[in-house]
Amino acid sequence: MLRYLVHRILVMIPTLFVISALVFIIIQLPEGDYLTSRITELQAQGEKISHEKIAFLRQQYGLDKPPLQQYAHWVIGMLHGDLGYSFEYNLPVNEVVGDRLFLSFVLSFSTIVFTWAVSFPIGIYSATHQYSWGDHGLTFIGFLGLATPNFLLALVLLYFANVAFGTSIGGLMDPQYLDQPMSWAKFGSVLAHLWIPVIVIGTSGTAGMIRRLRANLLDELEKQYVVTAHAKGLPPGRALLKYPLRMALNPFIADIGSLLPQVISGAAIVSIVLSLPTTGPMLVHALQSQDTFLAGSFLMFLAFLTVVGMFVSDIALAMLDPRIRLAGGIRR
Amino acid sequence: MEQGARLPHYVSDAPFDPYSIETLTPEQERFFLASQWRMMWWRFKRHRLAVGAGLLLLGFYLAIVVSEFLAPYNLHSRHNRYIYAPPQQIHLYRNGKLQRPFVYGYRLHLNLDTMKREYTENTRKIFPVRFLCAGEGYRLWGLFKGNLHLVCPSRRGTLFLLGTDRLGRDVLSRIIYGARISLTVGLVGIGVSFLVGLILGGLAGYYSGWVDSLVQRLIEILRSFPELPLWMALSAALPVDWSPIGVFFGITLILGLLDWTGLARAVRSKLLALREEDFTTAAILMGARPSRVIARHLIPNFMSHIIASATLSIPSMILGETALSFLGLGLRPPITSWGVLLTEAQNMNAVALYPWLMLPVVPVIIVVLAFNFLGDGLRDAADPYKA
Amino acid sequence: MRWTRTLALACTLGLLSAGASGAAWKEAPMLAARAAKGEIPPVGERLPAHPRVIDVAKMGREPGRYGGDLRVLMARSKDTRIMVVYGYARLVVYDTNYKLIPDILESVDVRQGRIFTFKLRAGHRWSDGHPFTTEDFRYYWEDIANNKDLAPFGPPQILLVDGKAPRFEVLDERTVRYTWVKPNPFFLPALAGARPQPIFAPAHYLKQFHARYTDPAKLAALAKEEGQRNWAAVHIRRFRPYKNNNPDLPSLQPWINTTFPPAQRFVFVRNPYFHRVDERGRQLPYIDRVLMNIADGKLIAAKSGAGESDLQARNLSFNDYAFLRQNTEWVGIRVLLWKTTKGAHLALYPNLNVSDPQLRRLARDVRFRRALSLAIDRDEINDVIYFGLAQPGNDTVVAGGPLYKPEYQHKWAEFDLDRANRLLDEVGLKKRDDDGVRLLPDGRPLSIIVETAGEDTEQTDVLELIADSWIRAGIKLFSKPLQREVFRNRIYSGQTFMSIWGGLENGLPTADMIPHELAPTAQDQLQWPKWGQYAETGGHAGEAPDLPAAQELARLNAQWTASSDHSTREKIWERMLTIRMNRMYTIGLISGVPQPVVISKRLHNVPEKGIYNWDPGAHFGVYMPDTFWLAAH
Repeated sequence: MLRYLVHRILVMIPTLFVISALVFIIIQLPEGDYLTSRITELQAQGEKISHEKIAFLRQQYGLDKPPLQQYAHWVIGMLHGDLGYSFEYNLPVNEVVGDRLFLSFVLSFSTIVFTWAVSFPIGIYSATHQYSWGDHGLTFIGFLGLATPNFLLALVLLYFANVAFGTSIGGLMDPQYLDQPMSWAKFGSVLAHLWIPVIVIGTSGTAGMIRRLRANLLDELEKQYVVTAHAKGLPPGRALLKYPLRMALNPFIADIGSLLPQVISGAAIVSIVLSLPTTGPMLVHALQSQDTFLAGSFLMFLAFLTVVGMFVSDIALAMLDPRIRLAGGIRR
Repeated sequence: MEQGARLPHYVSDAPFDPYSIETLTPEQERFFLASQWRMMWWRFKRHRLAVGAGLLLLGFYLAIVVSEFLAPYNLHSRHNRYIYAPPQQIHLYRNGKLQRPFVYGYRLHLNLDTMKREYTENTRKIFPVRFLCAGEGYRLWGLFKGNLHLVCPSRRGTLFLLGTDRLGRDVLSRIIYGARISLTVGLVGIGVSFLVGLILGGLAGYYSGWVDSLVQRLIEILRSFPELPLWMALSAALPVDWSPIGVFFGITLILGLLDWTGLARAVRSKLLALREEDFTTAAILMGARPSRVIARHLIPNFMSHIIASATLSIPSMILGETALSFLGLGLRPPITSWGVLLTEAQNMNAVALYPWLMLPVVPVIIVVLAFNFLGDGLRDAADPYKA
Repeated sequence: MRWTRTLALACTLGLLSAGASGAAWKEAPMLAARAAKGEIPPVGERLPAHPRVIDVAKMGREPGRYGGDLRVLMARSKDTRIMVVYGYARLVVYDTNYKLIPDILESVDVRQGRIFTFKLRAGHRWSDGHPFTTEDFRYYWEDIANNKDLAPFGPPQILLVDGKAPRFEVLDERTVRYTWVKPNPFFLPALAGARPQPIFAPAHYLKQFHARYTDPAKLAALAKEEGQRNWAAVHIRRFRPYKNNNPDLPSLQPWINTTFPPAQRFVFVRNPYFHRVDERGRQLPYIDRVLMNIADGKLIAAKSGAGESDLQARNLSFNDYAFLRQNTEWVGIRVLLWKTTKGAHLALYPNLNVSDPQLRRLARDVRFRRALSLAIDRDEINDVIYFGLAQPGNDTVVAGGPLYKPEYQHKWAEFDLDRANRLLDEVGLKKRDDDGVRLLPDGRPLSIIVETAGEDTEQTDVLELIADSWIRAGIKLFSKPLQREVFRNRIYSGQTFMSIWGGLENGLPTADMIPHELAPTAQDQLQWPKWGQYAETGGHAGEAPDLPAAQELARLNAQWTASSDHSTREKIWERMLTIRMNRMYTIGLISGVPQPVVISKRLHNVPEKGIYNWDPGAHFGVYMPDTFWLAAH
């Protein structure tokens, strides 16, 4: 077990390095750099910018150095905890990200809770009543959420909420509460805005989860020990929940690691449409304007979370399933 | 052991028919002699929803071959006098009497105060719908000239069953033409994904060792990346001077290249399991080369699973294309796909004033659901030897 | 010179009226409360001795009521700069007739177009109460513009004539003078621009960040703390008067930013030392605070329609009008339609510097350009996309301006396919392929790829309409949407044959405004990027113009800069506009597309009909938002 842990930790480090190189390449891939997009933006507004100014700015932003040097500078900075400087916001990256991280977390957490809360009962019902009308009907509703493009659904719900409930359009709360301390009114306003993204993002995730839970549970229910349990007179509820469900949960725990990038990615488009002050729109804008440090550091942060998350879920799985521990490896 | 007396043996000399004890009923015979694919088909048929979905999809794909025939108007035909016109209803009854299907004409009022075009039904203008008629000229697949349509408007009238957009283009026709691009993106994308996943997963599963480690790390890296930045970067890197078709294939390539990890992992785990099976060992002992072992023995065993997984990935390709269009990275006008149509409907004007512009979402939902049900059915049927 | 006389007159009037209303100034209750507590001096000491008097009644407006919060929506947190634009407090400003008059300055004296003497208002203070004096001008000139760390490439271009800097003198504590060797017609317009050229800075605040006045070791420590390279970066970060993102920086604008970025909501509070008063002696602005909410650009139209903004024009386009209008009844907003005065809302730019030799030959042939223009059905574009409310015609000065002539707008802009076809035949494109598309001499079909950088569908829609009419002249049009940077870079490098963009920025020029948009002067002119680059870099890069008409335009532009009397300048403008009309270097489509402006029903003094233009005009700036006021709920 210990050897396994150490091995996994050692493997994580080169993985992160490769990811950092990939991230850097991805940001630099489109032509030009932050300054070129800034300049074209200014020119589009009819403002002139002289060549000397451009050269001066390039030097200021450190964009005149060769890419390899920029990359090294960035990685070394990150290892010291310095995430770099955002060109667009003119602030250190931690300030820009930190502001939004909390709200992102709230949104992601609510979405995950919603997804699990909805898919568990439906999955269990579907597995135990296979091919019934209920099974088909509920699965259909679950899939409907998956099939509808998120951005359109978000916009329609936004309009509907405004017309039906008078909720202000977009944002995570009504504008007047933005600077004020937390109060019941503010909390209520946040809830009134939060339900839209949670439902839109959550419903795309429930279908997959229902299907997986259903499939796994079906597999487990075929097994011998369930038959034995029934034969021995165990009440059906316990026979279902105590043993097969625990086994069916294995892949969920294994998937916690990859849940995070998915939720953050799925949330990005919806956040853009709904104008939520979360990390998604910030990331997209940073990528579009090639704000190297902001985009790069944030992506590294995400990748780091994911890699650590996958590691943690492997540990959790090993602890949960003694067979894995004893057999010495993961059977995927 | 104590030497005892010989035990009495009794072997009968009478003729013996081995099948007299246990005869197979015709049913059972059919079952046991059926090939693997046969059995899969039977299992698949049981899943009614999947069969229905499969037929529907088959219909859609056949339809895109003859989009020009099915659509009442051409992709780019505009009507300046019918901008933002609401959908026209087909009526069958007039004054209580059954008639040839017809639509009423529009009466247009240009409201210069609210800047809206106000349309009302003009019950005095009757335009019968024509079937199998000669309508607007087109070029089938851009090659063959023709003008036969399934339905067309009457000569002086209009047939906007789903309304028109801001340039007066028929929404229904655009949806039909858009199907061509969207459905093809799914297929081509999955083809790319399939190929890459099969090769890489196969190598990892069969050879193990460092190849396996490498591929696993690659998969892990790709999976820990949020999709969005990868899409954005790769789309932005597409050369600018490619023709629209080139961009189209570029986009499908990108979607396919970012999706193969699931397939590769499935292939790999199946191969790892099957490698230990007796029949593989037998084949190797009998002198079969690795290529023969893979092709003849291993692949047929998991192909069904892989096909099921692939089918289940197509919907994410189609939705991915719509998301890319939304971000402005995918296909853009003048190429028309469902994603492009939805992006054009992605504004408050469409939601509040002209809701029929959002109708392209319906075929997207139908196709995605259909692929999901089909994939479910295929997956349930994939291992016919399971109970 | 006309200049000096007008300005002197304006100053005298200002002084007289100031004297007339006397010293009984009035202030907003919010400030009165603070003055009572002793936080700020009484209003008599906060206003300059002779503040600028805005005669609100004379402008046809109602004198206002103090108080209220004005909500506006912006798409990026960078748009805090828009409050500098809307506030529009400048040394000199444009009035609603686009004449330059002093605002912050008490008087401006111009001799021979090259000697500028500025007089400040006595007692004028910064927003933190410190006096605003000529020391601030000196600090900018010597310690910023000519400091080798803060400006390694020297003072800004706009302050140089023939590459030479002016002589700067401080005559006394209220008067400064800039003297150039040759006339500098760009100086005052640059000071009055939407994005102004700063020539003064709050010295008392910035000195603590300047190595000349503060211990360099302390500055180095500060730089390290803030993660900046050196003290220069620290200073630059603090002094961004246009960006308006440093709440500590003293300002002269009517509303001061009080929120540090990053934020989703920026609060701008009234400046207690603002230098304007209304005719009754009440210190402006009327409105106490401006609340700027940052929201996604695509949602701003929806939010405005839901009543979440009290004054909105940015991120609203003509397409949104129907939606906005429909909500006015129950949401408490009104939607106005202002005019836009760009030379053309959209124009096609054949690239005369395109690399492909065949295409270049065509682009340079005036008959080809005229034919392209004749084959466009502008009335159809107007009807289909702009509800018939725009003006079809060329990219030139718009009707209502002093230099306008109808033939500038309409020559070669009629829809005449026969003539277009004949001209194209003349050019040598007689042969056609099976589809009727004309063939270039080397056999390629003539398919023109028009590249666009538009974020929405407006440009591709217009191009689709043009494509349908061009095909009848045997030209196939493909539109190619691109990312903005790529779009411009391709034009600059000659890879693009034709692009589509907005037309002349200033469609209502007077003869006294520089005609630089009509001549090759800048690289970002999409019809001749290399010729423009040549002019911009003084011949170091790009190519010299080689068409006689373009050369003449460049010559006329230089002549204008050297001339100083009104009638010569008028004749030069006329000649340049005529050349433009005949040569069709840019193919204008429509102009005068109305701009929706959403205002709250409670907001008064916003003109019903106005002109929405960036420069000159500063969007709302010329209409002085400090005179807008909100009625009580």
